[in-house]
Amino acid sequence: MLWYVIRRLLLIIPTLLGLSVIVFAIARLLPGDPVGLAAGPNATPEVIASVAAEFGLDKPIPVQYWNYLTGLLQGDWGVSLFSRRPVAADLAEFVPATLELVIAALLIAVIVGIPLGLLAAIWRDGIFDYLTRTVSLGAIAMPRFFLGLLLQLAFAMALNWLPLSGRFPLIEFPPERITGFYTVDAILIGDWHALGVALQHLALPALALSLSPLATILRMMRASTIEVLQQDYILTERALGIPSWIILFKYTLRNAVSATLTVIGLYVSWLLGGTVLVETIFDWPGIGLYSTQAILGQDFMPVIGVTLVIAMIYLVTSVIVDILQAVLNPKVRLQ
Amino acid sequence: MALLDISDLHLSMRSFEGETPILKGIDLTVERGQIWGVVGETGSGKSLTGLTISRLLPNTTARYTGGQVLFDGKDVLRAGERDMRALRGGRIGMIFQDPTTNLNPSFRIGTQMVDAALHAARDKPAILGLTGRESRRARRRAAWQASVALLESFGLHDAEDRMARFPHEFSGGMRQRVLIAMAMIGQPDLLIADEPTTALDVSVQSQILRLIHRLVEERNIGVMFITHNLGVVAQLCSHVAVMYRGRIVERGPVSKVLKAPEHIYTRALMDAIPTARAQMDTLRGIDWPLRDRIEAEIAATAKEVTA
Amino acid sequence: MSQIDTSLPRAGLARSARAEARARAIYRFRQSLLSVIGLAIAVILITVALLAPWLLPYPDDVTGAVNPAVAFQPPSAAHWFGTNSVGQDIMTLVIYGSRISLLSGVTVILLALIIGGALGVIAGWVGGWIDEVIMRITDLLLTIPSLILAMAVAAALGTGIWNMIIAITITWWPTYARLVRAEVAAKKQEQFVIASRVLGVGPMRLIGRHVLPNIVTPVVVKASLDVGFAILLVASLGFVGIGVKPPTPEWGTMLAEARNYMPQYWWTAIFPGTAIFLAVLAFNLLGDGLRDVLDPRTRR
Repeated sequence: MLWYVIRRLLLIIPTLLGLSVIVFAIARLLPGDPVGLAAGPNATPEVIASVAAEFGLDKPIPVQYWNYLTGLLQGDWGVSLFSRRPVAADLAEFVPATLELVIAALLIAVIVGIPLGLLAAIWRDGIFDYLTRTVSLGAIAMPRFFLGLLLQLAFAMALNWLPLSGRFPLIEFPPERITGFYTVDAILIGDWHALGVALQHLALPALALSLSPLATILRMMRASTIEVLQQDYILTERALGIPSWIILFKYTLRNAVSATLTVIGLYVSWLLGGTVLVETIFDWPGIGLYSTQAILGQDFMPVIGVTLVIAMIYLVTSVIVDILQAVLNPKVRLQ
Repeated sequence: MALLDISDLHLSMRSFEGETPILKGIDLTVERGQIWGVVGETGSGKSLTGLTISRLLPNTTARYTGGQVLFDGKDVLRAGERDMRALRGGRIGMIFQDPTTNLNPSFRIGTQMVDAALHAARDKPAILGLTGRESRRARRRAAWQASVALLESFGLHDAEDRMARFPHEFSGGMRQRVLIAMAMIGQPDLLIADEPTTALDVSVQSQILRLIHRLVEERNIGVMFITHNLGVVAQLCSHVAVMYRGRIVERGPVSKVLKAPEHIYTRALMDAIPTARAQMDTLRGIDWPLRDRIEAEIAATAKEVTA
Repeated sequence: MSQIDTSLPRAGLARSARAEARARAIYRFRQSLLSVIGLAIAVILITVALLAPWLLPYPDDVTGAVNPAVAFQPPSAAHWFGTNSVGQDIMTLVIYGSRISLLSGVTVILLALIIGGALGVIAGWVGGWIDEVIMRITDLLLTIPSLILAMAVAAALGTGIWNMIIAITITWWPTYARLVRAEVAAKKQEQFVIASRVLGVGPMRLIGRHVLPNIVTPVVVKASLDVGFAILLVASLGFVGIGVKPPTPEWGTMLAEARNYMPQYWWTAIFPGTAIFLAVLAFNLLGDGLRDVLDPRTRR
């Protein structure tokens, strides 16, 4: 088991290497003039040349890639063309914000989606089933940014229950950084006021991000529960007289969840992409907002950095999903 | 009073095409100590008869259009779900054909077995040596010990160890023993076995048959053994009922029916059994001209009965 | 608890036979009803897009005409959907925006289908190292969220509808390559294909006559579902400020601009947002319906 995890984690490295080649190629080979953009509209050719030299962009692209790669191994993720800040420092600041948002959204989706899907399957073809399925069809089609806007309109502007945007009020200090997750840090230092404020800010963006995965998990859970209920072993369990609630919430649930788990894992990548839009709407200072600004400015070091971080999160998640899968389903052999 | 007394059972199944009569008047009486073989081809209704006794058919598609099924004097067709759940496991045990799909793959054998035992012990605490006033933990421990003991007595060595294992770690024959143990842990009075040996190879098959035979001798239970294999019936059963198209066309003690079959369908079934000496050209199925004759004979007997 | 007991598919006493029959009838009708609604919305959208030049209440607005005198008019008889910050009629912009969304959505999927399909057939049929290389590339591309990849490529290529289409196509072909490869590889092993090969049927003919017709169903279902998601991605790019050149109206771009005028001028956001939602929903419903009709295995 331990060896399996280590091997899977080691296998991430070649994938990231391959990915860095592709992303580097996309960033550098496509048309576009990052140096000109960075140097400003009125820059003389000499200024442009000096900017290019400063960032090593005057060298051939394979050399640039090699320099980037060797830097990466020493923890140097390159430097932003605009802010001139190291990308690694930016990522350290923004990644926890995004992870907090994504994990919150995933928690909402799983905690709400799995029970609702189970109930929809149990009350199959009933009113509850129709209702959840119709709503979930709409939820999947709903653009996240439109949903975010509507949530802001309703809960921040009209009702004034929750803050409109941001991660923490500008006039207050966020809890002392331990993990970078404001909610977790607030709990760790026991600052309940800060926890409340952080949760209030987290609520709307997490909700906007969670709706589509919630609907998908619900549909998947419903389908797999129906599938499980038709299995022979359920008939055997019923023939043994085991009470229905044990059959459902013990024997059926685990099998259905293990089928749904794969979908949840696939959704992590989607969620990480979705944060771009949700962070834009809610001014959430995470890698989505960061990468949008970098992409618009063709500031490619941050773009490559963000892409690699996202891919890493995605790949680690798939390892976690496989491990959970093996825990839930003993037939799955880790190898 | 008979343990199981089915009389004039009629069952229809609904599908999108409409309602199809499946069982057309089944009469069958099973006493303690008897092993009834119910034989017939696929689709003859033998499995549905078994599921009916435990009322495990979906109410949404199965409709009982007549007759009664008395278990211990009570009509299960008119019993509520709560009463039926008390009968299942505790009074009526069931085992099914495919041991690979009838155990939940995600749970340890012990977990599944202890749940079965705990359920049966709610109405009959004595089967675990309890009085019904013990703590949850004590009941669990008793269920565990009873399960281990039963598995050991069924020839599974290191049962304590095996209880912690998952179904896929067992062979087909061992799984079927586990399933029989789960069905028997509640000490039921009637065991319904639906083709329990069909998916097993021959040597394992005879072990399972011996096990069932032993259960009847030791515990004096009644068995309804559903199969399409007359050879198995001859080895195991005391009585046999031959089903064809939703009816029992012939019934009686095995010695009598198999020695001197009266019904044309029984004879056809017996002719279709390949023997070790049979050669390719003597292998016989039931072909269509024969089917027409069977139908004609059934129609004739039906007329006799009504006349 | 009793409710749960009785609704286990094989148990159940409470629900009568008649209720079940009715439930099934309603279910089937609803299924087809939803697909029909999806089809209807899609047909209306396509019609509107095709007839847009004749439907626009204020045709000048789509070419960038401004009319500050009527800025931020709420919905009225003259402006059904209201007007925006420069006095353009929002209904006009939404109607014209349907052309951009549908055109790019459908084109992206067609291109992705052609590129991904071709590579998938090659990978699945030829196998070996070619298969390995194509599949590893798709693996890598699929680890990057499609929105971020499309944003990066589109930003590098510059604004313009075709650059945007190319960018989205780059993110989308791998899913088709994988789907087609899996189907082709499976079909290649089937008896009738092996038999034809033994008989000396050439590979092109074999693929064209025996393999491709058999994989049409899953591909068509996925493509119709994907048109909706491609429209969503187009709008997302517009929303973050990458995509078509202004003043060409685009739903996502309109929504991004409307953000600045919340909540007073809510109509500037509601109408383009609803348009995106309906377009995505229509193709999703249609895809679901097609799956039920074309693929009997998943029919319930």
